[in-house]
Amino acid sequence: MSGAARPPSAMRRLTAEVRPTLILACAIQGVGAVAGIVPFVAVVELAGLLLGDGPADQAIRWAWIAGGALAVRLFCLIASGALSHRADADLQLSIRRQIAAHLSRVPLSWFSRRNAGALKKTLLDDVAALHDVVGHAYTATVSAIVLPVAALAYLAWRDLVLVPASLFPVVVGMALYAMQFRGYGEKMQAYETALAQIGAAAVEYVQGIAVVKTFSGTGRAFSRFTRRAEAFLEMFWNWISGLLSYAAAADIVLSPLTAVLIASGLGLSMAEAGWITTVDALALIVLAPALTAPFLALSFAQHGVMQARKAADRIVEVLDAPVLTRPDAPRVPTGNRIVFESVHAAYDDDRKVLSEIDLALEPGTTTALIGPSGSGKSTLAKLLPRFMDPVAGQITLGGVPLPEIAPETLYARVGYVFQDVRLLRASVRDNIALGAREADLDTVMGAARTACIHDRITALPRGYDTVIGEDVTLSGGEAQRVTIARALLADPPVLVLDEALAFADADTSQALRNALAAWSGRRTLLIVAHDLATVRHADQICALDEGRIVERGSHDALIRQGGLYARLWRAGERAA
Amino acid sequence: MIPRLLDVAGTGFRAPIRRLVAGLALEGALVGLGFVLLMPFLEALLAGDASAALRWWAALAGVFALYVLLRWRTQMMGYLAAVALARVLFDRLGRHVAQLPIGWFTETRAGELAVLSGQGVTEIMSLPAHLLRPLIVAFVTPVPVLIAMAVVDWRLALSVAVAVPLGMLAYLWSGALVSRSDGRVHAAAVEATARIVEFAQAQTVLRAHGREVAAAHDLDAALVEQRAAGQAQIAMVAKGLLAFVVVVQAALTLLLVVGVNRALGGAVDVPVLAALLVLGLRSAEPLIAAADLQGAMRIADETLRRMQTLLETPPLPEPSDPTVPQGTALSFEDVSFGYETAPVLHDVSFAARENGLTVIVGPSGAGKSTILRLIPRFHDVTGGRITLGGVDLRDIGTEALLTQVSMVFQDVYLFDGTIAENVRLAQPEASDDALHEACRTARLGSMLDRLPDGLETQVGEGGARLSGGERQRISIARALLKDAPIILLDEALAAIDAEDDRNLRAAMRALTADRTVIAVTHRLLAAETADHVVFLDAGRTTEQGTHAELMAKNGSYAHFVRLERQGAIG
Repeated sequence: MSGAARPPSAMRRLTAEVRPTLILACAIQGVGAVAGIVPFVAVVELAGLLLGDGPADQAIRWAWIAGGALAVRLFCLIASGALSHRADADLQLSIRRQIAAHLSRVPLSWFSRRNAGALKKTLLDDVAALHDVVGHAYTATVSAIVLPVAALAYLAWRDLVLVPASLFPVVVGMALYAMQFRGYGEKMQAYETALAQIGAAAVEYVQGIAVVKTFSGTGRAFSRFTRRAEAFLEMFWNWISGLLSYAAAADIVLSPLTAVLIASGLGLSMAEAGWITTVDALALIVLAPALTAPFLALSFAQHGVMQARKAADRIVEVLDAPVLTRPDAPRVPTGNRIVFESVHAAYDDDRKVLSEIDLALEPGTTTALIGPSGSGKSTLAKLLPRFMDPVAGQITLGGVPLPEIAPETLYARVGYVFQDVRLLRASVRDNIALGAREADLDTVMGAARTACIHDRITALPRGYDTVIGEDVTLSGGEAQRVTIARALLADPPVLVLDEALAFADADTSQALRNALAAWSGRRTLLIVAHDLATVRHADQICALDEGRIVERGSHDALIRQGGLYARLWRAGERAA
Repeated sequence: MIPRLLDVAGTGFRAPIRRLVAGLALEGALVGLGFVLLMPFLEALLAGDASAALRWWAALAGVFALYVLLRWRTQMMGYLAAVALARVLFDRLGRHVAQLPIGWFTETRAGELAVLSGQGVTEIMSLPAHLLRPLIVAFVTPVPVLIAMAVVDWRLALSVAVAVPLGMLAYLWSGALVSRSDGRVHAAAVEATARIVEFAQAQTVLRAHGREVAAAHDLDAALVEQRAAGQAQIAMVAKGLLAFVVVVQAALTLLLVVGVNRALGGAVDVPVLAALLVLGLRSAEPLIAAADLQGAMRIADETLRRMQTLLETPPLPEPSDPTVPQGTALSFEDVSFGYETAPVLHDVSFAARENGLTVIVGPSGAGKSTILRLIPRFHDVTGGRITLGGVDLRDIGTEALLTQVSMVFQDVYLFDGTIAENVRLAQPEASDDALHEACRTARLGSMLDRLPDGLETQVGEGGARLSGGERQRISIARALLKDAPIILLDEALAAIDAEDDRNLRAAMRALTADRTVIAVTHRLLAAETADHVVFLDAGRTTEQGTHAELMAKNGSYAHFVRLERQGAIG
């Protein structure tokens, strides 16, 4: 319960911008809570007046006061809810924008460690989970405090002895709740983990359904899924069954019926003993449930608050992901010569991928990287567009280390075509003209023709205005040709191509051949090659093995050398 | 809501849910009865009759004892029902999904299923566990109170009773208002999700072309719409809530004013009036709280609805009397097929000889992969038929059909587990010797030597820790272990380097020997040696025969082959 009143720092930090609105919502809620007590007070006062044969007009006035208080409370309820929900909506939009803005600044390698599903969960589900706190918990907490305090104040005003009498069930109920929420944090963690595993098992089940069905038949198909589900239920039951008696006991102690029973018993005996009047006893009976009811509401909200806190932690984790350093005073490279100077690269888990890479890419030359899978050739190519930064050594472009170049400048000079083709859900034209927005349709069509995709595009339902992913889904080869057209149009001075030949069909090969012809000798090319035939005419071939450049030179020189390259080349020739 | 719950949970679940609802209703009635007993108690107390008050208090204590017992029971019942319900849901979901055509599983649906089976099931569990209680108790408690009121003074009771139908209407109306806005909220969430995933996945492209800001625009528009949809819904919620609470509070005010007037007129005793007013206020409080629960109820109901839709998706039809195919010859007879609306294949006819190699060749987008996907019934044909050993695939039964077929596809899916587990998937009871033999034949030896844990190496989710060639060879080992007579190969030789390539070819030779093989390949590796070549263009079989025959014909296949050969750069 204190948790709802004092959210931890992640939540506090995220909600800072809507704090004024929330404070206002809480203040209004407080007024509403006081107004909520008034009708009960009115009933007691009424009874006192009527029993004491007081003036009739005053009695009627109390009835109207009660009615008025109900109206005030109604207004406060709606106003405070509207405000807190408004704050919630604003906050959600703001946090989502912050995350999106942050995503465009983190190193690209950050994305490969996270699947899109996890990101989606943070940006949508986790942000939405804050709703329980921002929209409800703060105001509910205010109610839970103000309502009993106001009730107690009235009871104290009538007779101080009523205060301890009315507090009895509250104390017992709170103690029971405390027991119930002991170790809640860890259990909650285990619960979430078990739940996430079901989700993962379901995804795996679905993604692998073709394999599962063909290889193990439908009967056994979902045993993994049901095993996880069973484990979750077992965990859940073990957790909850231990708590059920506490929860039930606490709920019973705090229920209105209990409050009424205890208050009426105490009221009766105290009135009997002459400590209080019968009207005081009535006050005790009428107001006692007001002391316990808010706790029930709060405990009900507790689960949501816990989840919201976890969600806030995850959101902050994303927002705090280190961004690629941006230079304070960006330098402009002179020329486009690229030099790797004793570069070392490693992934987060300290797994070394590249060691002691020294390499120069002269303007207008073609360099090919070859080597067995896992040799680090793709990583080497990815350092250039700063998918990640080296852990030691440096890479310079036109004499300037990459981190000192403004990203816009870097990406204007270094383009890349990777195997992992991404098209945007936008028109074909926009997809091709991504790097050259000012290009007119003729220029776009020219690039598409060179990339052997023009005919396919004109055959699409709306030609160049066809929206990819909505009007049409392109095949892998077609998508690749669109990205080649895109790179042709953008025409950066340095181009990195990775595995661009995989999946290639005849048209795509032709497109790539055309593109290479257009670039060759004019642009600096760094090609990560799997098909050695592509690299034969490269100015420089680097063979990588276990993260080091083990051989370099022209095709003929390396064949003469008879090392790794020569071996791979012969293997390729035999296969073909 | 409850009928939907019963429908989703299935017939076996009716009794426990009904018992729970009955228990909760009784609980509410006991609370109401306890409140009613307060009336004579207060009457005696305020009249100064202590012994009568004590007797009524004892009665109240008796009702309380019953309430405690019942409350304890319903708590257990609720959670037991929740767990049993979850078990039924998991089981029904799992079973049903296994029977759906594989073509049904798009990426979006996979995501939806994951949400439904994780978060979704817990949302439904919360219904019996703790959502039904406050709702049912809140609506039942006022009933005994109202009856008692009617006994004391029917005019007072009437002034409150007017509120009952109005309150019900307001409650239903507010629910309807909110559901109406659900569509827009859901659509906005779907669009925002898609834009976020795109934004994250396309970062490489966006940054390469320096358009971070412009591309963020679409995402931002989606996020803004999401807020607008949310706010529109909040306005609806507020409207509905307002109507309901206004009705409840108006009834209370009426009770107060009419009550005081009647007490002043001497029609009602003051202690009785005090008691009645207390009762009215007490029973109104939970009702107002119940209005707040509507959101949670709606979420659970929406989840139930999605679950219902999923469970009602028609499964792949199975023959009631399966026919056993004779042999493994496959034949496509005038097969037509389309995804949703777009037609992909038109009148495709060809025959794949038993133990022969049939190769499907054609430009990308011609529908080659689709042909392969029709054989294990990932989809059913929309026209014509496919026969295996002379029997229509639909008459064989999926289970029997799938024992005949192994697939080696470009996108190899490996489960998060060890290499051994992934290979054994084909035949869990296979001996270690058979397992090792399959791995050896699939040329996995050098890879297993390299990995510290050998066959027990974890592959990582989706096989992420292995190279493309390695994943492919694991899938070949799997197919070898399964030893099915029909092999389907889809572009299985792309995306690998030369050393991988050599190993793969050897593994592939072992796999395809003496089996009926249908292969799709861009590289024409096997076309020259194939028994039958089918040339597919824009979903139609335009030419077929042996490689030599088709080359001699000098038609579109020959043209395509010449283009491909030029394509081998260098």
